[in-house]
Amino acid sequence: MRKLRASIKKEFLLLINDKVGLLLMYLMPVLLVFIITLVQDSTFKLVNENSLEIIIVNKDTGDLGDTLISHLESTGTFTIKKRNELSEAEIQKTLLNGSELIAIKIPVDFSQNLNSKATNISINMLSEFEMADTNNLVNYSETLPLIMFYDPVLQESFRFSVLSTLYSHLSILENSLMIEKLYAQMGYDEIPKGMKNQFMNNQIKIDQVSANSSSREVIPNSTQHNVPAWSIFAMFFMVISLGGNIVKERLSGSFVRLQTIPASFSLVLISKTFVYVFVAITQLAIIFALGKLVFPFLGLPSLVLPSNILALFVVSFLSALSAISFAMLVGTYANTQEQANGFGAITVIIFAAIGGIWVPSFVMPSYLQAIGSISPMHWCLEGYYTLFLKGGDWYLLTPTLLFLILFILACQILIYIKLKIQNYI
Amino acid sequence: MGTVIEVQKISKQYSGATEYSLNGVSLSIKRGDKLGIFGPNGAGKTTLISIICGIIKQSEGEVIFNDGESSIELRSMLYKIGYVPQDFSFYPELTPYQNLMYFGALYDITKTELKQKIKSLLSVLGLSHVTHKKVGKFSGGMKRRVNLAIGIINDPAILFLDEPTVGVDVQSKNAIMTYLEELNRTGTTIIYTSHHMNEGQEFCNRIVLLDQGKLIADDSLQHLLKEYNESSLEALFLSLTGIEYRD
Repeated sequence: MRKLRASIKKEFLLLINDKVGLLLMYLMPVLLVFIITLVQDSTFKLVNENSLEIIIVNKDTGDLGDTLISHLESTGTFTIKKRNELSEAEIQKTLLNGSELIAIKIPVDFSQNLNSKATNISINMLSEFEMADTNNLVNYSETLPLIMFYDPVLQESFRFSVLSTLYSHLSILENSLMIEKLYAQMGYDEIPKGMKNQFMNNQIKIDQVSANSSSREVIPNSTQHNVPAWSIFAMFFMVISLGGNIVKERLSGSFVRLQTIPASFSLVLISKTFVYVFVAITQLAIIFALGKLVFPFLGLPSLVLPSNILALFVVSFLSALSAISFAMLVGTYANTQEQANGFGAITVIIFAAIGGIWVPSFVMPSYLQAIGSISPMHWCLEGYYTLFLKGGDWYLLTPTLLFLILFILACQILIYIKLKIQNYI
Repeated sequence: MGTVIEVQKISKQYSGATEYSLNGVSLSIKRGDKLGIFGPNGAGKTTLISIICGIIKQSEGEVIFNDGESSIELRSMLYKIGYVPQDFSFYPELTPYQNLMYFGALYDITKTELKQKIKSLLSVLGLSHVTHKKVGKFSGGMKRRVNLAIGIINDPAILFLDEPTVGVDVQSKNAIMTYLEELNRTGTTIIYTSHHMNEGQEFCNRIVLLDQGKLIADDSLQHLLKEYNESSLEALFLSLTGIEYRD
């Protein structure tokens, strides 16, 4: 125990003397998680909260344009800015320069032509039962279309979802108008109140259920993605400090001296693992605490911790061991500190990119998702996603935990082979 | 005096090399020896010390350790061996005290005993005033003395030194050699390599000369000078290894 204690103490002393390494391991991820979460927050809000700002230019001379606008407002999907004075050219200019992504222009004859169309449909329907005279059909020109302007950066899928909302509300408006005209043709002054409400609200409801094994429903947001994602990145970025530290010790001859001392080399590896697990856990604790306590003060969503704390500990511990094993592997095989730093940093960045740290994997093409599954960071993130968004079921976590254990074992075997060749073990 | 290390026909060929770095070297190291291993660059001095200390494995031959009663394995001898490598094998980010506390603990020395040893060692080697300063900022001579202090923290019975005085000032060299003399007087067997012939002439009671991986001389300085009719170790060295560059 005396040897292990001394070895751990030495590792701690080396760690606190490595100022650059400490900055990279603690300050850099904190800055990254703040910056990236703030940047991504608006995008996540756009996707998840559907609070899209749109401009409506209502040129309609009647009142149906306003009715359509109030329907759209009642959905809560849009924040509507009325800019009736804008011309088409000005609308385009506003979209390109402003924060809004969509504008809708309601044509000047919108009410008039919608009314005429509904009147004619009702006359045609009643004439089939000889309850109306087709001579009463009114003349109307084909209605000018509604025009939806959009910023080219807007994703196609999102554009279609706005379009379908518009079609849905137009359809409700047209149906309601048609019923009004039917009743009018039949000599009623107005539609019975209950009937009108039935027509307006007769859509079959669709309940949404998240595939979450926990009773708690957690909405994916920028915090739930970025806090675990950048914690993982921070852990793997230990390669700069730990990998470099191993190369430095080897090149300085400290490892050679150890061969002439009655101490097992595994002592060095165990003490390094112990100290860097501590580093990883403190990184996690700091970033998670920021997500939980500081983010709300910046207007960011607060981190919601999973209910399965034991699973959170297991995933965090295995993620830390994966990062440490990878750093040790790089440090063992690199010939110089520059090699370890360069190769380590580039590899971690590639692992992060394909592993879904920067951009969630599900938005990547399928071939990139397949490649991404070789990244240990992808599996660490999968573990946290399972915990944070899917309720942290042990069964769902099994593939993730198995991959991480296999990755750790593979790294340790490769480290052992190299150290054996170098006669350190 | 009894034999403490028996080197029997040691050969070493590094992977990828066409030539042997050591070729059939045999020698006996006696208790209390002050053995100097000399030779030009690439003669095999560091390789020989590294094999004896177990840092690298020999291709052929055997190294037998003797604790005075029977042959024992190197692993059992590690508590009694001290090794001072040519490179500065310590942590420059740490202080001499922290380095010595770490390496000393690996020999299972208690904290109290270690503190006393460190105080005394640093005092003898003239490093007391920098006990708690980072070694990385020390001069070459001070670093050499820290390197030596770590190698002898366990009071070794056999001490290996690979070029212990290379690149140091006269004062540091004097401090190191004086201390080595003192250690030898108290019973420590010393095996060391050096490029400084004068140092060897003054310090060693036995000289081993290596050239191109082969042992070409092994005797006391007086006998060798007499046998080859030379006046100094340097002259003997040149007469046996030639004047051509070997690197």
